Amino acid sequence: MSNSLNLVLTALMVACGLSLVNAQYQARHLFMELERTQSKARQLDIEWAQLQLDQSTLGKHERIEAIARRDLNMTPLTAARTQYLTQGEP
Amino acid sequence: MKRGTHPAAARVAASTGVPFSKNPVLEVRLPVWRSRVVLFALFAAFAALAGRALWLQAVSNQFLQKQGESRYARTLELPATRGKITDRNGQVLASSVPVKAIWAIPDDVLQAPAAKLQALAKLLDMSEAELRKKLDSDRSFVYLKRQVEQDVADRIAKLDIDGIDTRKEYKRFYPQGEVTTHVVGFTSVEDVGQESMELAQQKTLQGTTGSRRVIKDRLGHIVEDIGFIHEPHDGRDLILSVDSKIQYIAYTQLKEAVEKFKAKAGAVVVVDVHTGEVLALANYPSYDPNDRSKLTGQQLRNRVMTDTFEPGSTLKPFTVALALDSGRVKPGTLIDTGPGRFVINGAPINDTKPHGVISVAEIIKESSNIGTSKIALSMPSQEMWEMFTKVGFGQQPKFGFPGAVAGRVRPYKAWRPVEQATMSYGNGISVSLIQLARAYTMFARDGDTIPLSFQKVSEAPQGQQVIKPETAAQMRAMLETVVSPTGTAPQAQVAGYRVGGKTGTAYKVVNGKYAMPRKYIGSFVGMVPMSAPRFIIAVMIDEPTTAAHYGGQVAAPTFAAVASNALRALNVPPDSSVTEIIIPANAAQEGM
Repeated sequence: MSNSLNLVLTALMVACGLSLVNAQYQARHLFMELERTQSKARQLDIEWAQLQLDQSTLGKHERIEAIARRDLNMTPLTAARTQYLTQGEP
Repeated sequence: MKRGTHPAAARVAASTGVPFSKNPVLEVRLPVWRSRVVLFALFAAFAALAGRALWLQAVSNQFLQKQGESRYARTLELPATRGKITDRNGQVLASSVPVKAIWAIPDDVLQAPAAKLQALAKLLDMSEAELRKKLDSDRSFVYLKRQVEQDVADRIAKLDIDGIDTRKEYKRFYPQGEVTTHVVGFTSVEDVGQESMELAQQKTLQGTTGSRRVIKDRLGHIVEDIGFIHEPHDGRDLILSVDSKIQYIAYTQLKEAVEKFKAKAGAVVVVDVHTGEVLALANYPSYDPNDRSKLTGQQLRNRVMTDTFEPGSTLKPFTVALALDSGRVKPGTLIDTGPGRFVINGAPINDTKPHGVISVAEIIKESSNIGTSKIALSMPSQEMWEMFTKVGFGQQPKFGFPGAVAGRVRPYKAWRPVEQATMSYGNGISVSLIQLARAYTMFARDGDTIPLSFQKVSEAPQGQQVIKPETAAQMRAMLETVVSPTGTAPQAQVAGYRVGGKTGTAYKVVNGKYAMPRKYIGSFVGMVPMSAPRFIIAVMIDEPTTAAHYGGQVAAPTFAAVASNALRALNVPPDSSVTEIIIPANAAQEGM
């Protein structure tokens, strides 16, 4: 009686031990995955900042004006050439 | 066969040797204590081992634990970036990007083959001689170049030279360059603010680096956190009140004016009348904050904030407003300005031309010094001083901008009558352009002044009432006549909009005296659109050297150009009834 109980308990203990090892292994794996994702997030953050900078650099009013004047043959708008529409008026 | 006959005898002889039990060595009886000593010594040795083990395991375990930990635990520094600076519409004006500082251990690097050093010098953008000079040092740590961009740093790493290493740092980029630099400022290589808003907001912009302890495995992967993580805190982003579109307009128009009138410098500031936000602040000459190698003091100078000047006639409206508000005069009250020359206690005050008897409104329109002086002399000096102080002259501005100056208004008790008269038209008093712009909010609004802000504000600020709303309305009507064809600044007109403002031309004071030959500062402060003022624009042109040097000639056109573009940029509908709105014949092709 007590012999078979011992056997069961031993088997249980071994199983527990193995599952602990497995859990630890999984945890470390997941942790590494998390680390990798976090560093990727940082990388993307940096990239985003860089892109914002690029947008600002390319969107410089000076550059837009030069392109509009030179390449697109545009001229500044004057009030005399503008038709103003007021909401509510026929 | 003799041998064969006596074999048994031989065997006997052999066995008759000394018997084993009779070994003489065993015969010696040793004293008992000797074995006891050995036993004790062995026991003591084991006891010592056990004691030592106990000591290391239980009592003095720190040293070994530390040693063990240092083999797998690492402290990582978690970097924090400096906050971005954006304009009111979210356009980035300053942003930090990670870069590398390249450093070297000179002795190791000098062992490298010459070809590699040549390649390194090329990548670092310096001559080989320059590189060798840097390496010729007794120190064991030398920065070769700081703020090297990531891809260059990667290529340097690929050269694989012993003794070259990199350190992570940040570089600040200013995409709008010289246009916004006087508002934004710049940082040092250590990422510390040096000028303007970068300096003023250093505390909120800078981040705090964090740290964490981790266990790393053999391959350098992080396996586990140990202990607390000190989270890094990135610096907070700063949203300025500046509108980069208006800023660009202001800067380019100012640059054009300074070059056209061959002036030494110039400054423009645009203020939102409703919120007190500074929409643009431009100075010329300016500089590129991304490349400060040739930076001069002239370029660095923020004339809007740090230069004070005698404002001249732009101050007249305050004197007149005070007289109107206290009921001493009405806009139609006639004042005799005589032949254009008026003497107070021996000191003459001149007008540019004789105006004769004119009304108070015409004094503003024609900018008569004598008229303003006569009005001023009818009032106690204390009231005038209070007016100047209430609108902010002589007061340190409170909007947290480094280097903002207070200007100078002398205590009223020391005013002599002639000084009170000259001060009424802006001589003998010094103000900065930003103070002037702020003071004009009194006219643009209903008689109250509001604090200015360089950061975007979410709710309208509380104004401080200085004059009655009716007085402000009367003043606006007078300021509008200034830009009429017969006023002093017809060039300030903007097609489609009613505008108003006041010109100012002052002699420059150098070392406490008026400069000889005369040096001028032409200024114009105005507001648009007059029916419901939206912007206050103040322009100052420093030392125009062309024949034109009056505020109405040099500063008013810049005002008009900035105003018309800013109104269009912000979709402010025109309010002028006199505009001829011409629709071009080919509008359909052009507009659609």
